[in-house]
Parts: sequence; C-alpha cells; structure tokens
Amino acid sequence: MAKINLMTKIFNAGPLLLLYYLSISEVDTNLEKIFEIFTFNLPIIIIYFWILKRPSVMGTGHIFIAGLINDVVMGFPLGISSLSYLVVCFFSNYVRNKSVNTTIASDWFTFFIALIFANLLFFSLLNSFSDIAISYTKIGYNTFFTLFSFPIMWLIFSFYQANFIGGQNA
Amino acid sequence: MSVNRDDFSIAFRSALLQRGGAQKFSILSLFILTIIIFFLDVYGFTVVQKARSIINDVVFRVSYITTSPLRIMPDVSTGIAGHFNLKEENEKLKKVIENYKSLDLNLEYLTNENKNLRKVLDAENIINDKTNMVLAKVLIDRNSPFLKSLIINKGTRSGIKKGMAVTQNNYLIGRIVDANHLSSRVLLLNDLNSRVPVTFDSNSSQAILAGSGIKNPKLEYLPEGYVLEDGINVYASGKDRIFAPGTPIGKTTNDGEVKLYIDPNQLSFVTVILTRQNKEKF
Repeated sequence: MAKINLMTKIFNAGPLLLLYYLSISEVDTNLEKIFEIFTFNLPIIIIYFWILKRPSVMGTGHIFIAGLINDVVMGFPLGISSLSYLVVCFFSNYVRNKSVNTTIASDWFTFFIALIFANLLFFSLLNSFSDIAISYTKIGYNTFFTLFSFPIMWLIFSFYQANFIGGQNA
Repeated sequence: MSVNRDDFSIAFRSALLQRGGAQKFSILSLFILTIIIFFLDVYGFTVVQKARSIINDVVFRVSYITTSPLRIMPDVSTGIAGHFNLKEENEKLKKVIENYKSLDLNLEYLTNENKNLRKVLDAENIINDKTNMVLAKVLIDRNSPFLKSLIINKGTRSGIKKGMAVTQNNYLIGRIVDANHLSSRVLLLNDLNSRVPVTFDSNSSQAILAGSGIKNPKLEYLPEGYVLEDGINVYASGKDRIFAPGTPIGKTTNDGEVKLYIDPNQLSFVTVILTRQNKEKF
C-alpha cells in the first residue's frame, strides 16, 4: 500500500518536475536545429493544461518559482516569465470556474486567448523595460507553434492523467 | 443579464483569489510579488543586483548538474564509436602531422610579420599575453529561440568584467554581457543584439557584423556599391575599443552572411580576454 502511495505521489509530481526541469535545464523545446523556425513554449501548455484539469498537481507558488528560474537561466529581467505564467494560470483558473465540462476544442480556444495575453504581457514588458532586442518574426513563429502543439500535448497529458494519475477532472 | 455579470465577477474573483489544496498562494498576491521583484530588478537596486548575482551562480550550477546526463550520453556513444575507428583515425592523424610539419616552415616568418602588424595596430600583447586570458568552461548553452547566449563558469572573481571579448582558439565568438561572482553570460555573435565593427578584404573595407538571431550573422553598412564575394576572411576592426583588432571571425558568403569559424552550438571551453582596450584620448 505504501508503495502504491509513493508511486501515486511520484506520478502526481511528474508535471511539476517537468516544468522545473524545462525551466532550469538547457533542454528546451527549441528545435531550430531540426527545423529552423520550429520553437514552442511547452511550460505554458503544461501550466494551462494542469491548472485546468488537475490544479492539485501544480501549485501557483511552484509556477512562480519556475518562472523566476527561467528568467535567471535565459537572462531576462527577473519576474517577467513568472508574470506570463501567472497570466496563463489566471485564465486557466477562470475557465475552470466557468465551465463544467470541457473538450479539446474549447480548451484549445481558451488556451489561444491565454497565450495571446501571456505573450503580449511578456514581450511588451521586455520591449519597454529591457534593452534586449527580439525578432518579432520569431515571436510569431513561437506563438503559432505553441498554439498548434497544444492539441498534441493535450492528448499526451490526458493519456498521462488517465493512466498514471487517475481520478476525475477538477 | 445581471446574473451573467455576477457570474463573471464571481468567477473572476475566484480565479484571482482562490486558495486551497496545492494552491498555497492566491494568484493576485503572486502577481503583486512578481511586479515588485520585476521593478526592483529593472531599476537595478544594488541589493537586488547582488542577490541576483548569487541566484545566477546557484541556478547555473544546478542547471549544469541536472543536464549532465544529457551531456554524458553523446560522449559515451562518441567514445564507443571512436574506439572502433582507431585505425582510420590514426591514418588521418598522420596526415595531419605531415600537414603541420609543412606549415611549421612558414611559422617563423608569419610570427614576425604578425608582430610587426600588431605594432602597427597598436594592439601588441593584447591577445598573446597568457596572463590576460581566462579559460572557462561552458556551463549552459541553452539554445533559446530569442537569445543566443551561453553561461561560463568564471566570473568577477577571475577578473571578468562586462564587455570583455570571448574567443575560442583565437577566433572571436562574442562578449561578456553579464558578470556574476562565479559565472558570466556571453552574448554570441549571432544574437540579434550583437553588433561588431569588422574589416575585410585587401582594401580593409569596414562594415558592421550584426547578429540576426539565426546561425550566421550578416554584414551591414557595407561601402556603397560594394559587391560581396564568397570566402573573404572577416576580422574585428577594433574600432569599438572592445575587441582586439585583427581577431578573426569568419568568412563571407554570397548572401551577405558571415560563416563563423567557430560553430556557436559546439562550444565546450572558451577564452575570455581580460584586457580591455583603453578609450582613445584626444
């Protein structure tokens, strides 16, 4: 029984560990080496999906810290990624409060709005308060591929949730 | 209608203020905390800068440790493949030695010529003085879609300061943009924020090497009507008083790009040139 509990805890911690790992490591979802324009923001998808489906596996404090770590590793002003992640978290919380049952299509649509607001805030702050120049084309590609990666990640995370975490949606 | 508005405000407030379970903090409180941290960092308060420097050092090292398995795996596979190709490698190395022997004959002449040219450029002892160099290991080379930079394991403790040139095998790769106590961030030449004055061809034409965010940087502000040829060596001109004049960078391509001598994605060790050129006195 204790072993089952331990395994459940490990599986429950999976999404959070993945979020921390993506923030802290040089492993990135930037696949420019394979396809020059292909980059997508996996942490935002992770946060949106798990706050929407299983808020118990992803605390807001952890999201805040993961954002700070990401800023340190990437060299952005401190707090800028945290703000962007918290915006996604807020949208996800709102959708969860407003809806009873969601589908992949409805999640995808609401994710699009969350992504636009999060990226808008992120790049506006970066543009206004930092000297770092960023290519708008790359922002466009990143947003586009993040949006179109969502259904694939949704299916993968749903599979993980159904097989390794179990229970009902939030 | 009013019911809908109430519904909206309840859901909105709940999304901002809700706590419980894993949500130990409300999103609103974290928003406020993040905004405070952001502005403290942006406006560069000394305490925050020092704290950030310490956090950077810790996070960079933790990041280096956590990603070590990913670095070891390719090394192991390369090692096994290398073991089976020893004979082939031996023959290749013999050829390389022969090549070096022939090159050695010209070395003395080139060294003298180089010394004389450096005297002309007033840059003697900038690159060749080994006490002015720091060898550093690359801790993180996160290939971000937005920033092309890497983290090295030497910082202000080793004498590194913001703006210093970074090379590998005497080829320019970038400059220091952020120096912590035990680590530093190197902005690579292909980053969108990188601008380096360069010189090239037999007429010593001048231009600016601008990072484009992709693999190869581009030449901008070329002389009027200049037609760029393929395969011309590009050197730092030193006009910015940051990079030593004559530091090789790469070769031109037909489309106005410069193919760097050093692939920025394949760096393990780099050299930081501690000498910064003095500002010109008029």
